[in-house]
Amino acid sequence: MSIENPIDLRQDRRQWLKTSATVLGASLVPLPAVSAETLEGETAPAAGKAEARFFTPAQHTLVEELSETIIPADGHSGGAKAAKVADYIDQTLRKTTDDTQKSLWHEGLRLIDVMSQHYNGKTFVQASSEERIAVLTVLSDNVKLTDLPEVRFFVELKHLTVHAYYTSKIGIHDELEYQGNRILKEYVGCDDQGTSS
Amino acid sequence: MVERDADLTKTYDAVIIGSGAAGGMASHVLTTHGMKVLLLEAGKKLPIEQELRSMEWPYDNANRGELPPDRHSLSFNEYTIRRPPYGPGFEKSKHLHSYIGESDYVKNIVVDERENPYTGTNYAWVRARCLGGKTNIWGRLALRLSDYDFKAKDRDGYGENWPISYSDIAPYYDKVDLYLGITGVKENLPYLPDSIFQRPTKLNCAEVTLQQGIKKMGRVLTQYRAGVTSDGLKHNKYRSRCYGRGACGRKGGCDIHAAFDSPTGLIYPAMDTGNLTLRTNATVREITVDQDTGKATGVHFIDSQTMKDYNVRAKAVVVAASTLESARLLLLSKSHRYPNGLANSSGHVGHNFCEHIMGPGIAGRAKDLVGKPPTLDDGRPGGFYLTRFRNLTEKNPGFIRGYGFEGSSGSAMFPRGADTHGFGASFKEEVRRNQGAYIGMGAFGEVLSRYENYVDLDPVVKDKWGVPALRFHYKFGENEHNMAKDMKETAQEMFEAAGFEIMHVSDRVLTEGWSIHELGTVRMGNDAKTSVLNQFEQSHDVRNLFVVDGSAFVNASCQNPTWTIMSLCWRSCDYLVDEMKKGNL
Repeated sequence: MSIENPIDLRQDRRQWLKTSATVLGASLVPLPAVSAETLEGETAPAAGKAEARFFTPAQHTLVEELSETIIPADGHSGGAKAAKVADYIDQTLRKTTDDTQKSLWHEGLRLIDVMSQHYNGKTFVQASSEERIAVLTVLSDNVKLTDLPEVRFFVELKHLTVHAYYTSKIGIHDELEYQGNRILKEYVGCDDQGTSS
Repeated sequence: MVERDADLTKTYDAVIIGSGAAGGMASHVLTTHGMKVLLLEAGKKLPIEQELRSMEWPYDNANRGELPPDRHSLSFNEYTIRRPPYGPGFEKSKHLHSYIGESDYVKNIVVDERENPYTGTNYAWVRARCLGGKTNIWGRLALRLSDYDFKAKDRDGYGENWPISYSDIAPYYDKVDLYLGITGVKENLPYLPDSIFQRPTKLNCAEVTLQQGIKKMGRVLTQYRAGVTSDGLKHNKYRSRCYGRGACGRKGGCDIHAAFDSPTGLIYPAMDTGNLTLRTNATVREITVDQDTGKATGVHFIDSQTMKDYNVRAKAVVVAASTLESARLLLLSKSHRYPNGLANSSGHVGHNFCEHIMGPGIAGRAKDLVGKPPTLDDGRPGGFYLTRFRNLTEKNPGFIRGYGFEGSSGSAMFPRGADTHGFGASFKEEVRRNQGAYIGMGAFGEVLSRYENYVDLDPVVKDKWGVPALRFHYKFGENEHNMAKDMKETAQEMFEAAGFEIMHVSDRVLTEGWSIHELGTVRMGNDAKTSVLNQFEQSHDVRNLFVVDGSAFVNASCQNPTWTIMSLCWRSCDYLVDEMKKGNL
């Protein structure tokens, strides 16, 4: 799969939406939406009780694997999992007042597993890293089809993952080795560069 | 610095309305001459260092530096499609801010749009109601104007000349340079005069490549001329010198005040003279007038928090509320004697509204820097300024006047390549390897001053304080759109000349107002029939009334206005003191 020869997402999705009901069985039952009870618990957490999370444990694992597929660990630095990107996304979704964004995440996570079943015959978390890449490549190659919820979800997933990763300690210090935000005796320019650190 | 409760029973020598660049400068100059001055600011005094937190790491911020989720800042599309005062679709946000309010560090500095509605044509109106106003978060580019601007009509026949020449204002530019501090490099350009510069910043490697690449085209790229003290100011105990800490690029201000802001640069020192009284939370709704003599007697203001009404008297009234708010206040100050609003016998108040068009720009990569070890590129107040080159010696067939580019290159705390296509190991590596190679710039061009671009009062809509809202009648014209196309073409030819790989180039124009350089609504001139103020920013109609902010500009030029606002204001306030001493006010 590539930009030159992308999968026809519109054609494919007809099939996987049609067949997924029988293939997936129980797993297609919509994931429980965040109930009003949970939301209230979030806005006024009981003393000593941990804040209610946006993702279920299973969803959290899925978001961890998705974000790690977007920004993986490599020989240079840790990836999205090490940078706790899923925790930051959970926090963002807990706090947002945007209900469209919340339902996009629920629907998107569901569709990712439907797609993974279609292309790989297993859920995204069960899939190998090559198989995971294959699923996200379909979406990445079709980012212009923003009328499709799974594409909108991919754009949102990448946006929040990238934002969370590059504002984390791992992203700023280990990955990019950012040199700034410190007191300098003298401004640095082209002549000095390479010796500044 | 001692803050006292404002005594509203006495008659001040002068009352100043607004505490931004202009109001701060008026406070400095008038109190230095021994005048007893009352300074009114509509907003509150913020614990500004706690707001700005210039060195906070994103991961130490609950929202990673972004706005808290109950707040929303308006986007380009929202400004373009939806009109203020922002009804359906925006209910979910408790607070609404202008586009500049998109970071956690400015959320309390910019106004809540809902409390401050406006109507009419689309306009991205950025307002900061707090002590110091927009100087708390300004972009710091501090440029002089020249006779190419002051006498532009002599060159192309359009509009009006200013009632001053460069030689009139040059000594005051010098005073502002020395009193507030400015960094830059001398270039000896007739159309962009040099300042008295402190220690300059340095260009990084891609910027040097661009500088060299355009030199053969006769174009000039120079270090960002920042209104920042890089050597420190012995006479000011409130401001530190610049330590190149960076974070100047993020939307926020400087919590050690190396970058000029009105409170630490001008107002606190003025309070130290013992001659300045500050009253915050004072929303001025009218300048009061003696109906017999026609002179201004003081102001009527509302306490912004308690909503109580107050009157205060002064021998002279100095309006410095910002270009649009100053025009609004004059229009609000209607009376039997001045039925069209104060100082408005010409009918020009609110008209000749102009600014800078922006949006067209370019981004690219210096290929020789890809994959190089990380460099420190943002430890400085700004990158570069690429100076005007259009309509200086030649005459462009598509448009009159000119534009310049602001830009920078290199690595930043948040990588510029975060929008790279794709994902996975190759995405991550590409972002890392490219981070120091990025270079980008955006243009700022002169919007012509036109009578038919104006603001007036909305007959129905009022703000939170019951004051009629401003209504916009303002659009870019053909000259601006032709200029925008040229900005894109020249940006491309210059990046090609520098050998950069071009990644994005656009002539898309941003919403009117985006530059936050609104000007001209209370313009100066020698003819009282076509202008509101004389060359000393004194009303032609009311001789103890002065308007000393950007509204006095006759044209916008293409240079950023703050340094000129303050230099003109200094000159006008010297004149005000002289006239008062002579008994002429």
